[in-house]
Amino acid sequence: MAMRIALRRVSASFSPRLPQLAPPARLLWRSDPPRTLSSTAVLSSALKFTDKHEWVKVEGGIGTVGISNYAQEALGDVVYCGLPEVGQRLEQMEDFGALESVKAASELYSPLTGEVTEINKELTENPALVNKACYEEGWLIKMTIEKPEELDGLMDQAAYDKLINSLEE
Amino acid sequence: MLNVRRSWSLLRRLGCRTEVQTSRTSSCSSGVFLSDAGLVLKSQSTDVFQNLALEDWIDANVDLQRRGVLLLWRNRPAVVIGRHQNPWSECDLPAMRRRGIPVARRRSGGGTVFHDLGNLNLTFFASKKDYDRRRNLKVVVEALRRVSPGLAVHATERFDILLNGHLKISGTASRLSRKSSYHHCTLLHSADRSALSAVLRPSCPGIHSNATPSVPSPVANLLDHAPTLQWEELLDGLVHQYNAEFGLSSASSLVDPTDESTFPGISRMEAELRSWDWTFGKTPKFSVQTGLELEDSSARCSAQLHMEVKSGRIQSCDLQVPAAWLPVRLSGELTDSLVGQRFCPQRAAAGVASLLRAQSGELQSRLHILCDAVISVMG
Repeated sequence: MAMRIALRRVSASFSPRLPQLAPPARLLWRSDPPRTLSSTAVLSSALKFTDKHEWVKVEGGIGTVGISNYAQEALGDVVYCGLPEVGQRLEQMEDFGALESVKAASELYSPLTGEVTEINKELTENPALVNKACYEEGWLIKMTIEKPEELDGLMDQAAYDKLINSLEE
Repeated sequence: MLNVRRSWSLLRRLGCRTEVQTSRTSSCSSGVFLSDAGLVLKSQSTDVFQNLALEDWIDANVDLQRRGVLLLWRNRPAVVIGRHQNPWSECDLPAMRRRGIPVARRRSGGGTVFHDLGNLNLTFFASKKDYDRRRNLKVVVEALRRVSPGLAVHATERFDILLNGHLKISGTASRLSRKSSYHHCTLLHSADRSALSAVLRPSCPGIHSNATPSVPSPVANLLDHAPTLQWEELLDGLVHQYNAEFGLSSASSLVDPTDESTFPGISRMEAELRSWDWTFGKTPKFSVQTGLELEDSSARCSAQLHMEVKSGRIQSCDLQVPAAWLPVRLSGELTDSLVGQRFCPQRAAAGVASLLRAQSGELQSRLHILCDAVISVMG
């Protein structure tokens, strides 16, 4: 009996919150609750950053790459994403494409060595996703991680935040 | 020996970061040898690929953290498209081929421009921190007002420069890389405006693309509105104003972008800019949907063509040709032979040659007409 109550309590605490009503466009992408600032901070604690303001998130041996909030703000409205081909092999720091905004064509540099497995097709029709959701739907490419030790050389969230603060002074 | 010494002193002034193999076998490092706070360079070349390579070289090799560089250059007739544009929709490639005018893709963003010897290009190199297009255009506008007092010129929100409120005399584009930036702009002094309008139109109809489009504008030449403004006077005025704006005292140096000893690695950069893979292969994915009018002495008909082109190559091709005019089997063989080929008239013609040889009589002649119509769509 006690066990059953305990289990019920555990399952109650794990039951998902009801999704808040979101605008129709959001529902097409996913049915999770809309992100708030605090949940973005939790999500990005798993991110690693380069000094070129790119982030990489590793899941199941695949790295997802995007640009940081600092970068998307500095860039202005993105009008075109020039991304590499699937299958292209990239060396760490090699330029693999460019984001064109009203400001300029800004080169993108690979945070790691590996092979491109996927590019974000949503960005073809909607390049502004890079500005609107740079850590989520605005991801750029996914790649294999040939040299995991390169990740150790990247900054964690705390170190990256420190870099941003020093730049903004 | 004199050439080496000249190259060496220029390299020292450039404060380049790379190691250079000269007869002295020394490396130059940023900051150590610099005495100038600024640098103004004028390119001796009028080749668009050599000059674009020179921009790439300066961007990659010169330390721009402490001060910038101004490069002045001009090209023999050429069309220059932006980084993410579609050459088939931006310019008339067959017309350009007939006139010997090449198309080049630059690394900065923005739209398509026509270059000739009456158009001056200015490139302002700076650190990313000092990237300031408005300030650079202020240099140009103020220089123009000084050399031609009363000239009504101003820079717009889009970083164009307009004459008399509505005539475009300058367009801007830029690139941000690792640590540096460059902002370049055109300046129409005495360009051939009829050549410009002849080439800045699509190669073929029916292109659907999300490549960055150009914003067409009516243009004017400075010389038409300031008839006494000589080319050299314009250049001197710009150099003077650049120095005034940035508190410098640089004299200008002539540079030769074909000089591998001064610019090691530059010929490789030039080769990449000339390559088909860069110029055409970097075109964003697009589709072509158009009608073809086919006619021989006995009949005429309309056909529909739909092609998908990715990285400059034909990914898929669908041809709807009335079976009465040409057997469906033959239209199918044509489309099969095109898939995987470059979207290029010469390659396509070579690809269909064997198909044509296998036919004879009226079939061959109609297939030929169809091939010509399809190939003409490729520019």
